[in-house]
Amino acid sequence: MSPLVLVAIALITYLSRAAAVVLLPRPSPRFETILSRIPAPIFASLATATLLGDGGAPVGGPTLAAAAGALLLSPARSLLLCLIGGAAGYAAGVLLG
Amino acid sequence: MVALALPAAAAIAVFGSLYGAAAREFLGVPLTLASSLLVYSGALQFALVALMSAGATTLPLLLTAGVLNLRHLVLGAALRSRFESGPLRRALLAFFLVDETFGFAVAAGNTAEPRAVGAATERTLLYSGLTLYVAWLVGTVVGALGGGLAAVESQAGAIFPVLFIGLAALAATRRSHVVRALAAAVLTAAVALLLPDLRMLAPVVAGVVVALPGGDR
Repeated sequence: MSPLVLVAIALITYLSRAAAVVLLPRPSPRFETILSRIPAPIFASLATATLLGDGGAPVGGPTLAAAAGALLLSPARSLLLCLIGGAAGYAAGVLLG
Repeated sequence: MVALALPAAAAIAVFGSLYGAAAREFLGVPLTLASSLLVYSGALQFALVALMSAGATTLPLLLTAGVLNLRHLVLGAALRSRFESGPLRRALLAFFLVDETFGFAVAAGNTAEPRAVGAATERTLLYSGLTLYVAWLVGTVVGALGGGLAAVESQAGAIFPVLFIGLAALAATRRSHVVRALAAAVLTAAVALLLPDLRMLAPVVAGVVVALPGGDR
């Protein structure tokens, strides 16, 4: 990869980030309602994607146990508690594995 | 919220070192460092290394950048209504828009007083963005210069699902959000199994698809 291609890729990446943030006018209330529904599903999807390796095979046991620990504490709606649950789950996964 | 970005920063530093070690073979040390400095996108940078290892030419590299970056349009649109500052400041903040910082910014806005949503969202995007950016750069430098954090890769990898589950819980302010989140997770798993080539786009596509229908309860 040449420096020029790298700069082009950096520009594509930055423009994709800035396009909606800078150029989009404040959305209408109806559009805003739809946009407000997006974050939770995206995070749930990202969690799922990080639990699936290449070809859809699940990742290792300790990581699955960490996710289970976080999921268990997710009703508390606290990121800190989810991280603690994840750490406890990971430790349990290592011990049991 | 920014303090809670520290575990993610530690994990990102580990992956930065793996990226640095893998990329220097194809890019050399100066371009490897420049790539993390200018691009700041782990998923894209790892994909580019994989393509280069397979002998890809310029066009596939650019196309991959275009396709993988499509998700930023959705993340940016979802944040846009929360921003109150002018276009110049938004242009600066946009550089720090990655999956994790989007999550921290949304979570900060959700827990702020109604009149402080904009300031909390923007401040969190900036500070968590800087934190993760520095972590990615430090990791890249360590990896590119021959250091290695590969021994803790599995521990670092476990942080991301935990982080995203926590962010999903924070973002789900209504029961309908929980239902949509579960539907998106199932949809993403189905895409990963049936169409593995689209796995990296699946989260955003699933997020948008489940957000469109119905009302809020």
